[in-house]
Amino acid sequence: MPIHTDVRRGIRDVIPVLVPVVPFALVLGLAIAESPLPNLVGWLGSSLIFGGSAQLTVVTLSAEGAGLAAVVAAGLVVQTRHFMYSAAFAPVFAGQPSWFRWLGPYFLIDQQFALTSLRVDDPPDSFRRYYLTVGLAFWVVWQATVALGLVVGPVVPGEWSLDFAVPLLFVGLLTAAIDSRPALVAAVAAGAVTWATLGVPNRLGIVLGAFAGIAAGVGASRR
Amino acid sequence: MTLSVVALVATVAVGIGTYAMRSSFIHALADRDLPPAVREALRYVAPSVMAALVVSLGFGGSAGVGWAEIAALSVGGVVGWRTRSLPLVLVAGMATLWALRAAL
Repeated sequence: MPIHTDVRRGIRDVIPVLVPVVPFALVLGLAIAESPLPNLVGWLGSSLIFGGSAQLTVVTLSAEGAGLAAVVAAGLVVQTRHFMYSAAFAPVFAGQPSWFRWLGPYFLIDQQFALTSLRVDDPPDSFRRYYLTVGLAFWVVWQATVALGLVVGPVVPGEWSLDFAVPLLFVGLLTAAIDSRPALVAAVAAGAVTWATLGVPNRLGIVLGAFAGIAAGVGASRR
Repeated sequence: MTLSVVALVATVAVGIGTYAMRSSFIHALADRDLPPAVREALRYVAPSVMAALVVSLGFGGSAGVGWAEIAALSVGGVVGWRTRSLPLVLVAGMATLWALRAAL
């Protein structure tokens, strides 16, 4: 069976996105291995949560002996930006079959949103194939790499600073998302407000910055 | 409760909460038309969140932020703007970071 064009495109696009994720997943696996938690309990978060920063938050806080309510609250606060992804994709998913509306959101991580939001004008079938290809590829690599980190620990020397590839990756995705002047205004405002609120715990500044950016984008588009 | 039980229950709870957030608006708004003003606002979610993530991940960590990091992110931005190629952004940005750290 020939590989479908959308599947091929999905694999081609997801590979550069996966590169910076590998060191992050290895570090996460190492953090689980070094915590007093059983490896299986820590690793389960990779599939149950499927979100690295929230998983790391839960592992770190519960290993430090934080109370259940505090761990859950901190983990959920880290994830609040997913409300925005869900809202942004609501019109896109409206044209999709119901099974996909249930399955698709599970894969809706930062990278998934960034890559697939560039393809929302594709025909629904095409978008769905692309979305599932990117999501499944990411999911499989994520599960495997966190498990690998549990077993082998850090294979990448720290002085390479490969974790810096993660913000760099989002710079690349950001430039792709800036497709108009209001979008540029939105990005600048969001970056500035996030910078000003870096001291706010649990990376809540991301949400504050994003709201400021959306407001600025709408304001700029009405001029 | 032991640490493991807290971790396990928290993992399940955060997992359910995360899925609920990711699916919330998709299910709530699936069969409804959004007002044009809301659609317009949603167009700016992607650039806003990406910019916020860049600043938070690039400068919000425990590691100190130096000129090398700022330069690397700027080079990545210019390369991304000119080429629209993620692999090139990664290569150019990491090369800038390593070169400046070696030089400074």
